[in-house]
Amino acid sequence: MFDEEGYRKLFVEESRENHENIVNNLLALENGDDQQAAIDEIFRSAHTLKGMSASMGFDAMEHLCHSMEDVFSLIRSGRREVTATLTDLLLTCTDAIEAMLDAIEAGETPSGEQSASLVQELQAFAEEEEGSAQETPPAAAASAGVPPEQAEEAEERPLYTLTVGVDPSSTMKDVRAMLLLQNLEEIGTIHSTTPSRELLEDGKFDGPFEILIESEAGEDALRTIASGTELSLLALSTPQSLPAASEEVRAPEPAPSEPQIPPPQVQRAAKTEKSREIKNIRVDIQRLDRMMNLVEDLVINRGRLEQIAKKHGIKEFDEALSMVGRSVSDLQNLMMGIRMMPLERIFNRLPRVVRDVANHDGKEVEFSIEGGETELDRSMMDGLSDPLLHIIRNAVNHGIETPEIRNASGKSPKGSLRLTARRDKDNVIIEIEDDGAGIDPERLRKKGVEKGLMTPEAAANATKDELVGLLFEPGFSTAETITDISGRGVGLDVVKKTIESLKGSIKVETEVGRGTKFELVLPPTMAIIDVMMVHINGMRCAIPVSNVVEVAQTRLEAIHRIGNSEAILLRDQTLPMHRLDDMFGRAEKSDTLVVLQNDGRRCCIVVDSVDGQQEVVVKPLSSIAGNCRGISGITIPGDGDVVPVLDVNTMI
Amino acid sequence: MGRILIVDDTMFMRTLLKNILFSGGHDIVGEAADGAEALAKYQELKPDLVTMDVVMPKMNGIEALKAIKAADPAAKVVMCTAVGQEQMVKLAVKSGARGYIVKPFQAPKVLEEVKSVLSA
Repeated sequence: MFDEEGYRKLFVEESRENHENIVNNLLALENGDDQQAAIDEIFRSAHTLKGMSASMGFDAMEHLCHSMEDVFSLIRSGRREVTATLTDLLLTCTDAIEAMLDAIEAGETPSGEQSASLVQELQAFAEEEEGSAQETPPAAAASAGVPPEQAEEAEERPLYTLTVGVDPSSTMKDVRAMLLLQNLEEIGTIHSTTPSRELLEDGKFDGPFEILIESEAGEDALRTIASGTELSLLALSTPQSLPAASEEVRAPEPAPSEPQIPPPQVQRAAKTEKSREIKNIRVDIQRLDRMMNLVEDLVINRGRLEQIAKKHGIKEFDEALSMVGRSVSDLQNLMMGIRMMPLERIFNRLPRVVRDVANHDGKEVEFSIEGGETELDRSMMDGLSDPLLHIIRNAVNHGIETPEIRNASGKSPKGSLRLTARRDKDNVIIEIEDDGAGIDPERLRKKGVEKGLMTPEAAANATKDELVGLLFEPGFSTAETITDISGRGVGLDVVKKTIESLKGSIKVETEVGRGTKFELVLPPTMAIIDVMMVHINGMRCAIPVSNVVEVAQTRLEAIHRIGNSEAILLRDQTLPMHRLDDMFGRAEKSDTLVVLQNDGRRCCIVVDSVDGQQEVVVKPLSSIAGNCRGISGITIPGDGDVVPVLDVNTMI
Repeated sequence: MGRILIVDDTMFMRTLLKNILFSGGHDIVGEAADGAEALAKYQELKPDLVTMDVVMPKMNGIEALKAIKAADPAAKVVMCTAVGQEQMVKLAVKSGARGYIVKPFQAPKVLEEVKSVLSA
């Protein structure tokens, strides 16, 4: 019917929003929030999904959404209750919809195989009620006493009989008939119809029908109206005089609007309003990335221009350049702002996860989210989603106890799980805190030895922080058994790696019997960072400022050889020392040290000189260069040099 | 051909309808995503015809229709509806809607209905 591909993207995007809206409102229903608002929202979203999928020709999805809409139509009119089983069924349906959307996004057309049984179940729910709640045909009796209008002065107007057929393919022949009658009434007075007007407007007619109308508008006007969309005028009789008895067969005027439809909901929850506001910003992510690249190029070229200007010292040029510079900075800030997305986008799917895991484990969990409006660069969103999911699953699965155990230890049977996000100066902090069993350091100690991660002696002397740090070691899992919910072969070590790849850090605090708190600290954006520019062995190099502890001068005597490596004693602390000869060539004698840290561990490197600090755009190494150990990317400062950015993480 | 205002809460449907109407030689003078916006745009643009989605957030299509009709009794509004919404559409017709089109849209039917409502 139309260029399907062109619409696919938009379809998937808007469908996902509607899908999410259904899920969240189903959960709101279950939590006993504003029932009517939630039901209306679900109905509306299911309806919208149905319409869109039908337009795209995704029949399976259309049928499923249609069935959901039917069920909610019954719920809305109070003829069906929302039960736990129904909620489960509906959530399963939303899963199916999500799977279909995934398939559609991948360019496939979802088949109806999986959803067919769901449709059946939904229909069973809907039909169960049908027998008991027969609706009386609307407005059947309401119009008996309506007085005829304009009957007196009508006598001399010409009278016509129209025979009209409605196209059998019409989707709503009743509405079509009703529109016809209404349009005819604008140019005349309808005296009677065969079958009766009520039957026509209820769609209870087959084949053509007759209308007796009195009108001065003339044949042409009648013809125009009676041959509108899906209508065909089969016959139009010549004018005749008004029969005396006509008033008795006169069809009643349509009754004034009947209250068959519940008053539409004008006010909606503030939450929904908010998510709607976000919807209006719609930019293709790839375009945004391209724009960001261009802005980065601008930043780099501005730097070059500044250096040229410095060399020539033309006052006018400097002025113009500083104006350009300001615009570029504004543009850069604006672009960064546009790329920011509220964390809600990934938080929104978590309530569902908590519910599923809690149900599966027979636990009761009160899950709360705060600070969903906190913003983060969208390139980090994707990476953050899985680690969050993992920690949340873990918290419910391993952290929070069953109601019986909680009761026994004097806690309320319902566990609490809090997810909070906030902006703190230069970082975004996300905390996941449960009031569950906590992690027992003694068990970690035992396990650390068992797994060969610590020697028995080291374990005996290990501090609590060191023991908790074991959680992030590959292959370490405190759960006795691997469940199908949280144990998916991914451990906290992967979580930690992912967070670190986002230039963030993860910390855990735990207390036995009181609960566990994970803290993720992330930079709000990755593309532009503060670096310290240094010369190492005559070559320029950039070090992220977040990794720099201090710059120190040292005496060569303080350097000690330990085995193959060197170490230095700096203010009572022994630090491993690297010369980076393999990366930058042999060093000259230098006594300047830069102390680096990553995740609490430190080391130091020898540099020739420290040139200063500057904000730069870090570009990833191209795929041609491949992965280069020790280098996280390159940057191009104003002079056009290509400068590597040290990856401190791999160095320590 | 007419100057048309499209009202629907999804950009998907608006785009679809826009292309159909455009292919029929109509001029799309504006779009609105909910009833309140529809009323404001109607008063601002004075279109020849409005296509109005029935189910929308904030102010639904029926209310928007009534509001537009109250502002301009001669307004020509075509409801965009789906199978199963007969009662809603009937209410709309009683409130002054001049026509209806059914989702999924079939271009010839949409154009026929719009043409017939415009010419009436």
